[in-house]
Amino acid sequence: MHIRSPKDFWAGLLFVAIGVGFILLALQYRLGDLHRMGPAMFPTLVGGLLAFLGAIIVLRSFVLEGERVPRFYARPIGVTLLAIVLFGLALQWLGLVAAVAVLVLVGAYAARDVRPLENVALAGVMILFSVAVFVWLLGLPLPLWPNS
Amino acid sequence: MEILSNLAFGLGVALSWQNIVYCFIGCFLGTLVGVLPGIGPVATVAMLLPFTFGLGPAPALIMLAGIYYGAQYGGSTTAILVNIPGESSSVVTTLDGYQMARRGRAGPALGIAAIGSFIAGCIATLVIAWFAPPLAEIALKFSPAEYFSLMVFGLIAAVVLARGSLIKAIAMVCFGILLGLIGTDVNSGVIRFAFGAPELADGLGFVALAMAFFGITDVVLNLEHEEKQEVFTSRIGSVLPTLADLRTCGWSIARGTALGSVLGILPGGGALLASFAAYMFEKKVAKPPRNFGQGDIRGVAAPESANNAGAQTSFIPMLTLGIPSNPTMALMIGALLIQGIAPGPQVMTERPELFWGLIASMWIGNLMLLVLNLPLVGLWIKLLAVPYRLLFPAIFVFCCIGVYTVDNKVFDVYEIAALSGLAYVLLKLDCEPAPMVLGFILGPMMEENLRRAMMISFGDPSVFITRPISAAFLIAAAALLIAIALPALRAKHEEAMQE
Repeated sequence: MHIRSPKDFWAGLLFVAIGVGFILLALQYRLGDLHRMGPAMFPTLVGGLLAFLGAIIVLRSFVLEGERVPRFYARPIGVTLLAIVLFGLALQWLGLVAAVAVLVLVGAYAARDVRPLENVALAGVMILFSVAVFVWLLGLPLPLWPNS
Repeated sequence: MEILSNLAFGLGVALSWQNIVYCFIGCFLGTLVGVLPGIGPVATVAMLLPFTFGLGPAPALIMLAGIYYGAQYGGSTTAILVNIPGESSSVVTTLDGYQMARRGRAGPALGIAAIGSFIAGCIATLVIAWFAPPLAEIALKFSPAEYFSLMVFGLIAAVVLARGSLIKAIAMVCFGILLGLIGTDVNSGVIRFAFGAPELADGLGFVALAMAFFGITDVVLNLEHEEKQEVFTSRIGSVLPTLADLRTCGWSIARGTALGSVLGILPGGGALLASFAAYMFEKKVAKPPRNFGQGDIRGVAAPESANNAGAQTSFIPMLTLGIPSNPTMALMIGALLIQGIAPGPQVMTERPELFWGLIASMWIGNLMLLVLNLPLVGLWIKLLAVPYRLLFPAIFVFCCIGVYTVDNKVFDVYEIAALSGLAYVLLKLDCEPAPMVLGFILGPMMEENLRRAMMISFGDPSVFITRPISAAFLIAAAALLIAIALPALRAKHEEAMQE
């Protein structure tokens, strides 16, 4: 057997895993019957359908010619996710000003072309903007500083 | 005339000074963000959603609608000037619009896009006012079985009309439904699939999902292949089309509007399908000399009118049935839910001010777009010059703050990070996010209606085929699937999508 469509192969496999995963997780809830469906019934049905479709996609990938999986570039996605998580941590402990600063200063490195001075300026502008618009103008309950 | 009195009532709501202001802010912000390269309407609406949290339902919806068609128009501006479609529905506008810009006629191209959109918007508003009430009346009579079948049909139709592999799209719908089921089951009170995280009791956040798939991940993919584009900012010239232009385009606008209005109502239709169909139709029927692809102004007028008409009439299934036909409408439903309003046919009778106010505001919004865009084109062009390296951290900021302010929970920020990782893998594997988002919104409603239908029928599943309306929906869904699966039609479908 030879995988002719790697993209479909992996997508199908992912769908099978997700479908089966949801079915297994649903085992802990009551299934019920068709008349009185329990909380497990619908997820099991849909999970089954998803796993079934995933299996077809996997099988099909041995027959139909398709594209290769494109390259995963670690930097953009990695830096982006890191910056967002840091934003969350900073927002919780240090407030909005620090959170926006960290998000912009770290997040900018998702691109290859970073100009440090410009980046600091951008962070300043974004802090001013988000404080002015979200906190002062819209009155959203965001903590500005640590322990506030 | 009931329509007239309803529209007058709606105008009364929409013309209150605060709603005018919100409509204006919506149009302005929508255009502003829509013009920025690399941000589509779904991301625009999702990012600007927090701005509406403090408002009541009617102003919130009016503002969001303004953001939506503002973003649509902004997308066309980038399509014409930079050859980057701000969203998929303005892809065809790049064909002739960008060519016009290269020939020094960027001004008239922008002008005719605005005028065509305005005319289309006005007519589409009337179509909604005329078409929606009877549809809602029928829908009010639907039993759970009919509702369930309607949702199946809506989802199938949406994926059939979407691009890409059909089977993967259906799988994505299923995945979306499953993600939508995370959280507390309303019937039994059981918290499902939460992995013990109390924060997930209310389910995954819809805003987090939409931003992850259409905002954050989009940025990441853009960063992977940075491209340079030539921007025509030097000379736009007068934005007013000549009389000859207008005469050439009259019928194109009319045809685009008609086609767009019809296609917008279909589930899965909306702006994208409308603009493609209108362009292809125009290529066939326009009077010679035809210079399509080389800067024919009709190649801008028709799809631009059609996508605006389609964008507006796609509100019909959303408003009357509570069924989103595209991700933007799914976001609108999400916004309604956040406002504490259950979408569906009862909205029209229970909240007439919301329904008719929104419709009337669309007309006002279109007028605003015309007034806003023609004189402000110079400002929008300046925005195009903003480099992406300054833009994308700002997108991060908006998404992160936006998702936090939905519920004021830091957990949602981590959620958007996790979902972005998932979205990245799925997009790399060519799995379209749009069907998933529709499934996410419709999943809980489908489960609810399925349960009720089976409860009423004492567990007999034949109820779905013995009730005529329900059977009709299911047969239509099956017919669509068979039609698209047949090889001959499939080739044609792919050919059409290629174009």
